[in-house]
Amino acid sequence: MNEQPNYTDAFEELQTIVTEIEQGEISVDELSEKVKRASYLIKICKSKLHSTEEDVNKILKELDSSNGQKSNLDN
Amino acid sequence: MPELFEGKRIFTLLEVSQGIQATIAKKFPDSYWIKAEMNKLGFYAQSGHCFPELVEKKDGKIIAKIDALIWNKDYLNINQNFKTVLGDVLKDGIKILFLAKVEYMPEFGLKLRIIDIDPAFTLGDFEKERQETIKRLQGEGIMNLNKSLMFPMLPKRIAIISDRDSRGYQDFINVFDAAKKAWGYEFFHMLFTASLQGDKALATIPMQLDRILRVKNHFDIVAIIRGGGGELTFACYNNYELSKKIAKYPLPVVTGIGHVTNLTVVDMVANQSSITPTKLAEFFIQKFHNFSVPVNEAEDKIGEQARRLIRDVKSKFENEIKFFRSVTENLLLKNNNMLRENTQSVFQHSRFIFKTEKDNLAISRAGIIKGSQALCKAKKTELAGIEKNIHNMSPKNVMKRGYSITLLNGKSVTSFSKLKPGDTIQTVLHEGNVLSTVNSATKPSEL
Repeated sequence: MNEQPNYTDAFEELQTIVTEIEQGEISVDELSEKVKRASYLIKICKSKLHSTEEDVNKILKELDSSNGQKSNLDN
Repeated sequence: MPELFEGKRIFTLLEVSQGIQATIAKKFPDSYWIKAEMNKLGFYAQSGHCFPELVEKKDGKIIAKIDALIWNKDYLNINQNFKTVLGDVLKDGIKILFLAKVEYMPEFGLKLRIIDIDPAFTLGDFEKERQETIKRLQGEGIMNLNKSLMFPMLPKRIAIISDRDSRGYQDFINVFDAAKKAWGYEFFHMLFTASLQGDKALATIPMQLDRILRVKNHFDIVAIIRGGGGELTFACYNNYELSKKIAKYPLPVVTGIGHVTNLTVVDMVANQSSITPTKLAEFFIQKFHNFSVPVNEAEDKIGEQARRLIRDVKSKFENEIKFFRSVTENLLLKNNNMLRENTQSVFQHSRFIFKTEKDNLAISRAGIIKGSQALCKAKKTELAGIEKNIHNMSPKNVMKRGYSITLLNGKSVTSFSKLKPGDTIQTVLHEGNVLSTVNSATKPSEL
């Protein structure tokens, strides 16, 4: 998996890992790898969430301001 | 007295004339009522005497002819009578009933000396001809032929049969000139000169009608025009041939020939007739009015209607604009609100999604931490247990509890069969070693 997984895939994988860990189905050998993977996935999800949120906010802000411009024109 | 010349009795002309005179005077002592046609009146202005030519015709041919004379005194009386009864002076071309003496005068020859003329006979003769003409035309069914032609809506092109010097012609033209000045009506008229009374009229009017016929496409109408005149001068307008020609004429014929009593037959068969030329011209003008008034009204109406139409369309258009503006404004407002709501909704929902996802992530993170910690702890515990077991199971600990290891030649012995008496064996204890010699090695009894 060289490519960064998308948010949905990453989150699904994360959920699987959480379930595995919570149910103690993981060997110690795998544990650190899994935790490392989980923290990587969390990072990815967080960063995607963050960037998406920023994008959305930016877009919404632009939408607001363009709305404002339009209503200015109307008046 | 007659003289003798070479044995002949010779009379002078006067002697013969006087003889004739005496004979005639004896033969025709009285005066008589005679009827005849007066071809010519033969009025001499200087003397005031008239020398009429009297004829009797049969089938258009002269079958009798006598010259007459009216002394100026008698002529004045007769004329006065005619004026009273017929509204006209004595004229040629009429039939007369006259009181006359047959006279022979040496200097003039045989004459009928007319003493009196009865105007009622002449009048009756006109009426008779008139009635006969009407009867014939009716019999032929052509009385209303010209009347049935449609009168042109705009009688613009008029062929005028008249005489340039006639007062009626001038009256007629004057009305048109006035109409042109007053209303701008343009008439095209052309004069076809004709005599307007007597036998000459009967010759020239049909001649001009024939001429007009050749160029009839250039004319809307034919007008026969003459000024007023006495009753006598209308005789020709009761003529059968002329009336028939007009009745059958392909263009509408109108008359303004001025009459006093009865309509002439020409008036009756004409498409239209007026009492005077002026009245006839006014009738034409009225036709123009009839045409131009609705045209003017239509012009006004068209203008007004057009303006109204434009006004209506404009106001409709303005209303449409107003409506359009209000509709679009509403639509814009509605959409703006919807957009705002949607924006709000997107904002809220995305916030919600982010929050949920963040929460999910946090839960996952916590799960990872908690789970991995728990896992580590469990493994540690497990490991500790195992370690303990392993510790318990180490030979040293076992030997502590009294167990020992037997070695032969440094190798642990696990069966009696490996040993035989006399072998030196080493026993490893918890503390220290013991060397012993084997006495016996036996099969273990069942435990």
